[in-house]
Amino acid sequence: MTTKTTGQPRDTRNTGPGRLLIAVYAIFAISATARAGFQIATKFGEAPLAYALSAFAALVYILATVSLAKAGRTWFRISLAAVLVELIGVLVVGAISIFEPIALPHDTVWSVFGRGYGFVPLVLPVLGLIWLYRRRPAAA
Amino acid sequence: MMDGYFYAVLAVGVLSTVLCVGAGILKKSPNDVTIFSVALVELVLLVYLVGSIVRVIIGEKIAGEAWEFWGYLATALLLPPAAVYWSVLERTRWSNFVLGAVGVTALVMAARMNQIWY
Repeated sequence: MTTKTTGQPRDTRNTGPGRLLIAVYAIFAISATARAGFQIATKFGEAPLAYALSAFAALVYILATVSLAKAGRTWFRISLAAVLVELIGVLVVGAISIFEPIALPHDTVWSVFGRGYGFVPLVLPVLGLIWLYRRRPAAA
Repeated sequence: MMDGYFYAVLAVGVLSTVLCVGAGILKKSPNDVTIFSVALVELVLLVYLVGSIVRVIIGEKIAGEAWEFWGYLATALLLPPAAVYWSVLERTRWSNFVLGAVGVTALVMAARMNQIWY
């Protein structure tokens, strides 16, 4: 869209496809937060690692939702960091849950690459990175 | 076990998502049809809410955590208005995909609500 224009590139990521991305991130932020809150409130002692991980994932989703909705270079960097952490998280946790299931016996959002959530957690950071790349701030 | 409320959300949710995603693919911006379909999802969820309150009043017990059930239902009820608000702020084809997300999400949440209830 306007990324190629040299005059005044709009440093925002909350229009067009970005709106859908933010909406899906918001859904995951809400559900991950609610789920982690519920797990920690009712049965944290059962699997502190898995539930702490759920809480961490929730935090990453909240950060991604908010930062994608905001304009400017700083928010872009925060978005990029959040989406990268999310991608690494889903890959690492997904791999651990398959090869070392004993280490993570309880489900998290990222277990088995997000199978419990229709693999959306795996696809989302990839789409996020593509969108961030297409809407990257012009080199200063 | 799934009850009638679940199948109602399933039917309306799938219909709404298909209509909204279809409209998005056809490069239409949100219109009466897509917004109405999301409103229909809200209506079914409201019926689910009233029906569930009645069932509790007449003495039916929720098998799982009651507050988890009500939490899901309350959150699901917020989705359609939030999506409509978010989509009318920018009336592009992408907003139809946002509206399309409501149906499937409500459907997944209704499935979970059924699991908690029974």
